[in-house]
Amino acid sequence: MREPAVQGFAGRAAIAGIGLTELTRRSGRTELELAVHAARLALGDAGMPPAALDAVLSYHMNDSAPSLQVARALRLETIGWHNDISGGGSQTASILGDAAMLIANGVARNVLIYRAMNGRSGTRMNTASTGPQEHFTLPYGMAGPIPMFALAATRYLHDTGLTAEHLHAVVAQSRQNAAANPRALRRAPLSLDEYLAAPYISAPLRAADCCQETDGACALVLTDARLAPEAPRVRAVVRGGGPGCSAMDRAPDVSAIFSGTVAPMLWAASGMRPGDVDVALLYDAYSWLVPRQLTDFGLVRPAGLGDFLLARGHAGVNPHGGLLSEGYVHGLNNVAQAVRELRAGRETALVTGFGGSYGSAALLTRA
Amino acid sequence: MGADPDPYWTACRRGELAIQRCTACDARVHLPAAECPRCGGTDLPFEPVGGDGIVHTFTIVYRSFVPAFRGREPYVLAWIDLPEGARAFGSVVGCPPERVTVGMRVRVMFENDLPVWRPA
Repeated sequence: MREPAVQGFAGRAAIAGIGLTELTRRSGRTELELAVHAARLALGDAGMPPAALDAVLSYHMNDSAPSLQVARALRLETIGWHNDISGGGSQTASILGDAAMLIANGVARNVLIYRAMNGRSGTRMNTASTGPQEHFTLPYGMAGPIPMFALAATRYLHDTGLTAEHLHAVVAQSRQNAAANPRALRRAPLSLDEYLAAPYISAPLRAADCCQETDGACALVLTDARLAPEAPRVRAVVRGGGPGCSAMDRAPDVSAIFSGTVAPMLWAASGMRPGDVDVALLYDAYSWLVPRQLTDFGLVRPAGLGDFLLARGHAGVNPHGGLLSEGYVHGLNNVAQAVRELRAGRETALVTGFGGSYGSAALLTRA
Repeated sequence: MGADPDPYWTACRRGELAIQRCTACDARVHLPAAECPRCGGTDLPFEPVGGDGIVHTFTIVYRSFVPAFRGREPYVLAWIDLPEGARAFGSVVGCPPERVTVGMRVRVMFENDLPVWRPA
């Protein structure tokens, strides 16, 4: 058997603190205020003064407060490495890798990561650009991610034999998981009848199949693992992609998403196996992404997927309700939940980031 | 990697669906590109195709995010496989939206110089 090419930063960075603002539909605050609030919560959680930070990273789509503004607002006298990474959900897991590389290479000791957005009251995602192909799709009345990922979903359901009943099982389980989560924007149960009676936005996707448009911010403080011996470790992080739903004009499989490419990369980079994962925080911007990732990551066999979902075999996925129910801080709130799970005794958490057929995944482990 | 799409729209105004063909490897290329995605060839003239297609996937838009299309829902958006070996985007018209299926045979027609697809 080939030895895994374990990444140089494996286990050398730890997540020492997490911070999440209240999640709302109308924060009444600027993205900067949200970012600073989340950062202070994360620093407090880590027991670290702001001045200890020597690096700040964020990802956004020109809809947030840049890292330097946040550093200044935290009254950091000087700042070391800082970057604003362009992008959305594809960055959710890989930004952990960016921070871990800074730490493992001695560039920084304490790194603040955040994502802050007024995703409902400010810049909404529903008309975000889907790329240069818009010249050919806009004249037909297509804009934003929902019809784009509905096109992929139709083909996914066609190819797998999954139906609205299976999508309901994903959403209803998410609501059930969120029921005990006071932070969650949606906590009420969703019956099959209610789900089926709701109108489509872009068939086969109803509003319930799409994540919550959210105002809020999430922050994490990563530190040199030697300084935080009790904190969850960043074990492996991968980022990549390939043909699939991001370029449906050419993709052999238009329902392919990032996980088809990054899952094998993750197992190769970590030397771990799907069976090692005991909690999965899957980027659930749309309901159908959950089953798609479950099989891509090898957590469920494709043959039994439909029955698995109806039997709620996925009850342990996104135990806080995920992006479908807790809220959508561009996925970073799922990473915060991974940390809570590991603090509560889980051994290994999978977190993922979706940007169509490009994205990222990380394995976090208990200290 | 875009190409000048003008010849595509010019052909549309003639009522013709014209898709690039790579003179080096004979691949059909769409959406328009400056270089052939298969072989890198740069000579990619627009040539007419037969006008037949098969629905690869589709969505029925019930709530449009394009202001000019509000009130026109529901309408069908689809990727259409062409037998020449490319995939085109367009709407499917001429039948109730709920009749559209993956694998459905369609034929191109033009509405306001825009290629759209109807059941074959």
